Amino acid sequence: MMAGRGRGQLTFSVEIVGIGKGENLPPSSVQPTPLFPPLDQKPVPLQTGEEAEYMLALKQEFRGAMKTLPFYIRPAAPKKDVERYSDKYQKTETTDNSLEWKPDWRRFPKELRVREKRPQRDKSPAVPKQPKQPRVDKEEIIRKLETLEQKEKEGSSDEEEGEKKKPEEEEAEGEEEYDEEEFEGETDYVMSYFDNEEEFGGDSDDNMDEAIY
Amino acid sequence: MTEVKVKKESTDPVDIENRIKELCQQFPQGITDQVIQNDMPHVEAQQRATAINRLLSVGQLDLLRNSNGLLYRLKDLQSASKVKGSDNQEKLVYQIIEDAGNKGIWSRDIRYKSNLPLTEINKILKNLESKKLIKAVKSVAASKKKVYMLYNLQPDRSVTGGAWYSDQDFESEFVEVLNQQCFKFLQSKAEAARDSKQSPMVQRNSSFATSHEVWKYICELGISKVDLSMEDIETILNTLIFDGKVEMTIIAAKEGTVGSVDGQMKLYRGVNPIIQPTGLVKTPCGLCPVFDDCHEGGEISPSNCVYMVEWLDF
Amino acid sequence: MTTQEVRLCGLLLQEHFGDVVEKVGTHLIRCGVLTLRALAHETKLALDLVKKSLCVLMQHGMCTFGAGRRGPAGPVEYRISCERILHMLRYPRYIYTAKSLYGDTGELIVEEILQRGQMTMSCTVKTVADRLTHNMPEGQSMDYSEVVSSFSQLVETHFLQRCPPVASTGSSNTGAVDTPPPAVAQPSEPESHPDCYRVPYINLTGQGKRRRSSEDGEADQRAAKKAKIDNSECGDEGIFWQVNFERFHLHFRDQAIISAVSCKLDQTSGEIVRTMLRMSEVTTQANAAFTQALSANEIFRALPSNYNIARPILDQYLTLLVDDPMEFVGKTGDSGGGMYVVNLHRALANLARATLESVVQERFGSRSARIFRLLLRKRHLEQKQVEDFAMIPAKEAKDMLYTLLSENLVQLQEIPKTPDHAPSRTFYLYTVNQLPTARLLLQHCYKCFDIYLFVDTIQTIGNLIERRLYETKENKQVPPFSTIQNISSKRLLEKSQRIEAILASLQATGAETAQLTEVEEMITAPERQQLESLRHHINKLDSSENQVDETIFLLESYINSTEASR
Repeated sequence: MMAGRGRGQLTFSVEIVGIGKGENLPPSSVQPTPLFPPLDQKPVPLQTGEEAEYMLALKQEFRGAMKTLPFYIRPAAPKKDVERYSDKYQKTETTDNSLEWKPDWRRFPKELRVREKRPQRDKSPAVPKQPKQPRVDKEEIIRKLETLEQKEKEGSSDEEEGEKKKPEEEEAEGEEEYDEEEFEGETDYVMSYFDNEEEFGGDSDDNMDEAIY
Repeated sequence: MTEVKVKKESTDPVDIENRIKELCQQFPQGITDQVIQNDMPHVEAQQRATAINRLLSVGQLDLLRNSNGLLYRLKDLQSASKVKGSDNQEKLVYQIIEDAGNKGIWSRDIRYKSNLPLTEINKILKNLESKKLIKAVKSVAASKKKVYMLYNLQPDRSVTGGAWYSDQDFESEFVEVLNQQCFKFLQSKAEAARDSKQSPMVQRNSSFATSHEVWKYICELGISKVDLSMEDIETILNTLIFDGKVEMTIIAAKEGTVGSVDGQMKLYRGVNPIIQPTGLVKTPCGLCPVFDDCHEGGEISPSNCVYMVEWLDF
Repeated sequence: MTTQEVRLCGLLLQEHFGDVVEKVGTHLIRCGVLTLRALAHETKLALDLVKKSLCVLMQHGMCTFGAGRRGPAGPVEYRISCERILHMLRYPRYIYTAKSLYGDTGELIVEEILQRGQMTMSCTVKTVADRLTHNMPEGQSMDYSEVVSSFSQLVETHFLQRCPPVASTGSSNTGAVDTPPPAVAQPSEPESHPDCYRVPYINLTGQGKRRRSSEDGEADQRAAKKAKIDNSECGDEGIFWQVNFERFHLHFRDQAIISAVSCKLDQTSGEIVRTMLRMSEVTTQANAAFTQALSANEIFRALPSNYNIARPILDQYLTLLVDDPMEFVGKTGDSGGGMYVVNLHRALANLARATLESVVQERFGSRSARIFRLLLRKRHLEQKQVEDFAMIPAKEAKDMLYTLLSENLVQLQEIPKTPDHAPSRTFYLYTVNQLPTARLLLQHCYKCFDIYLFVDTIQTIGNLIERRLYETKENKQVPPFSTIQNISSKRLLEKSQRIEAILASLQATGAETAQLTEVEEMITAPERQQLESLRHHINKLDSSENQVDETIFLLESYINSTEASR
C-alpha cells in the first residue's frame, strides 16, 4: 500500500525530527497548499531513438491488432442498419486478421462450450464485387459520415438504457446438452465459436470504455 | 631628522612591527596612527596598515577609542595592569577563562567553577569583554550557545566548525564549489587515463588520485580564503562518494610517502553510474508531489492534472 | 495483490480483450477461485459471455482450471494469474527482443503467439510466412522452412515452450472418468514435462501466400478453409506453443547486467560478462544467486573471435571486475587460470539500488540523493551525523530528511537507552530499507502505468464524462485537457481512420492524385491539428508505459531474487 503523504497520518512524531512547533513547518500543515504545487524538478526527457520508436510502434500495432482478433469480446455489436461507405474497404482488413479461433476442447473444460445455433456465415451480407476503379463521390462520403455521427450520438444515449435491461439468458439446461458427435468432429460448430457477435445481443455497453474507474 | 636616518629606515614587515611595539612601550597610554606615521614617514600606508592589523590579530596590540580617535596600545602590559586593578572575583573569572584555552568555556561552567552567582558572573564577563580582555564566541556545536576565551586567542575548530564555517554559519556554497572542483579534477584524471590506451590495469591505476594530490590541486586553484587541510579535502571527497560519483580505496603506503597517514593512503577515482536515469522519472507521474492523493474522481485526479497537461503539450 | 495491481490487470485485460473479459477477470482476481456458475451469478453477465471470457483467458495462459474443493466430482474451479496478466505490459519488449535476436521472422513468430496466446507450430509457420511474403516485393515469397528454422531456434533457446498438457478436461458432468484433474492450486509447470522444448516433426513444405486484395474475399475464405484442412495434415495437432516469459526475463536481466558493466567499466568488460552469461545460460538455474563457475581459460576460448583480447589482458579485465566495488564478478578459485562467476543477485541488488537512487535524485534533487545514498551505505545515522557526512546545513538536512521520511523512502528507528523509552534518552536513527523501499516504488510504478493507460483512454475516446464532472465542480481555473474541444476525439479518430481506409483502397486501385487529395481534404485543417496533437499525446503516453516498464522490471527482478534467496 502506498503511504500517506503526511496529512495527519505520520508514523513518527514531528518533534523527533527536530521540527518544533511553529518553526519550519512542512508545507501541508501550515497554510493551504495549492492543489498542484509548482514542481521543483521536471521529468527527464523520454528516451528516443530507434529502439524506443520501434517499441512504441509495436505497442500501438499490437493494441490495434488485438481489437480485430476473436479474443476481443464485444457484448453485442450495434445493428448495422447504416452501411458505411468505408465498410467495403475495411471488410478485408477484418476478415484477414481475425482468423477464426478454434479452441482445442481437449484442453478446455467442456462446460465452457457454448451451445449455438447453426453457423450463420451465409447470413453475413455478401460483399459486392467492387468495380476496378471506384468512383469517389465526395458528397456521398460526407453524407455517410454525417449519418454515422448522427447515429453515434443517438447511440450513446441509448446505451445507458441498454445497460439496465440486461437479458437473463437462462441456459441451465442448454449448456449440458452439447452434442458429443459435434465435439469429436470439430465441425463448423466449433469454427464459428466466436464468429457472430450478434448472437449475444442486448447487452450493449459501448460506453463502458469511459467507465474504467 | 636627517636623510641618513631615512635611508636606514627599514621597510621589512618585521622591523615595522617591532618599531611599532617600541613606540607603544614609550607611550603606555596608547599611540595614534599619526604617531606611527610621523615616526616612519617613508613606510607606505598600506604596509603600515598590514603591520598594525597583524599585531591586532595576534593579540599584541589593542585598539581603543578615545576623544582623539583610535588608539593603539600594547596588550600584555595593559591586561596585567587592568587585572591588577580589579577585584579578586574578576581575577578568578579571568583565570578560569584563561584555563579553558581556545576551546572556550560556557558561562554556566564558569559559575560551577567559581561558585559565584550567575548575575555577578554576567557583570564581570561584561566588564572583561568591554576591556577587551576576553571575548564571546558562538559555538557551532550548539547554536545560541556562547563560550568565553581570552581576547587574543584563535578559537578551536570544535568551536568555529573549521573551514566550513564563517562566523558560525555553515558555508554551504563553499562546500558545493569544492565538491564540484574535486570531482572535476578526478574526472579529468579518469578521462586522461582512458585516453592513454594503456593496458586496462594501468588505465585503472592512473585514474586514481591520492587525497594529497586533490588537496594540492585545490590549494593551487586558490579558491579558498582559508587554509584547508588534507582532512578537509577528504571530507569533501566523502560527499562525492555519497553522490555516487567517486569511489575510494585504501592502500598500504611506505612510511614517509607524501600524503600517507599511519602507513595508509586513500585513493580516489571518478566513476560512471551503472544506469541512466530510470524510466519512471522520464514520465510525469514519476516526479509528482501529490501522487498519493491522486485518485480518479478525487480533487486531484489524472483527468484534471495540470502537470500531465503541461507535459503532454510540451 | 494490491489494489494497484488489480486495477492495472483490469485495464490491461480491457485494452486487449474488451470490457467483458475485464469484468470476468477482475472479479476472479478479487475472489481468487470460483466456479463458472458463481462467476456468472456474481458478475451478472450472461453465462455465454462468461464462458467465452474464460476461454479467452485460458487460451492466453492467464487462467487455469481444475477440480475444486469438492474433489474431481465437484464443479470445476477457475483461478486467474495476475502475474501472467501483468506480462502484457511488457509485450512490446518481448517482441522487440525476438526481433533483435532472430530478425523479422523471430519478431513475427513471437508477435503472433502473443496475440493468440497459444498456437501450433504449423499454424504459426504458415501465418508468419504469409505475413512476411506479403511484405516482400511481388514475385518473391517466404519459404516455410526458413520460418520453421527460426521457430526451432526460439525453442532451442527456450524462448518458446510447449503448453503443458492438460491432465483431464475437468468435465464436471461426466464425473471422474479417467485420471483426476490436477488441483487448481498447482497448475502444471511447463518445464516439468520432458517434451517441453522438443520440436515436433511437421509435414509442411511450401511458401507463404500473398494476401489477395479486396476483390476476391471468397477466394480468401476458400483459402482459409483449405488452410484448416492443411492443418490436420501437418502432424502437430494438439501441440500448442506459448511464449516462455521467464526465459525472456532472464535475457532482460542479463542485458541489464551487461549494460551496467559497460557503463561502469567499459565496453570490453561488458563483452566479457556477456560471454560469461552466455556460457552459463543453460547450466545456471533461473533463480540462482550466481552463474556456474567458469575458468579464465574457458572464458578466453569463448570470447567472440573479433574481440582481440590477449590472454594476459583478459586476466587483467577479470581482476578489475572482481576488484570493482559493485562486485558484478566474483572469484571462486584458482584452477584453470582462475574460476569466476557472475554475481547475479548482487548485480540485481545494485541495479535496484541505483534505480531507487535515480528516483530520489530526479524527484528531490542531488543533495537529498546524497543523504539517501549515505543512509544506504552507513545503514543507521543520527541526524547530526547525516549533516556532518553529507555536509549539508542542519536546517536543510532536517527538511530533506522530513520529506524523505514522509514519502516513506527513509525510516526512523527509535533505540531507547533506558527501559522507560523517555524521548530524551532515546537514539533516533535514520535508515533506508532497500527491499521495502523497492516494493513501495514498484507499487508507485504500477499506479503510474494505471494512470497512463487511463489517460490514454480518455484521450482517445474523448473525455466527455470527466469534463462534465469537472465543469460542475467549477474548477474552471484548472485547464482541462487541451485536446477536448467541441468534437470528441473518438469520433475524430474514427473519421480519420475511415478516410485512411478509403485512401488506402483508392491507392491500391490506382486512383489519381486529384482524387486522393479530394478525399484527404475531407479532414479540415483544425481537425488535422487536433488529430496531430492527439497523436502526439498518445505517443508520449505509450512511450511512458514502455519506459516505466524498465523500472518495473528491475524492481521486480530484484524483489523476486531476494525472495528466492531466503
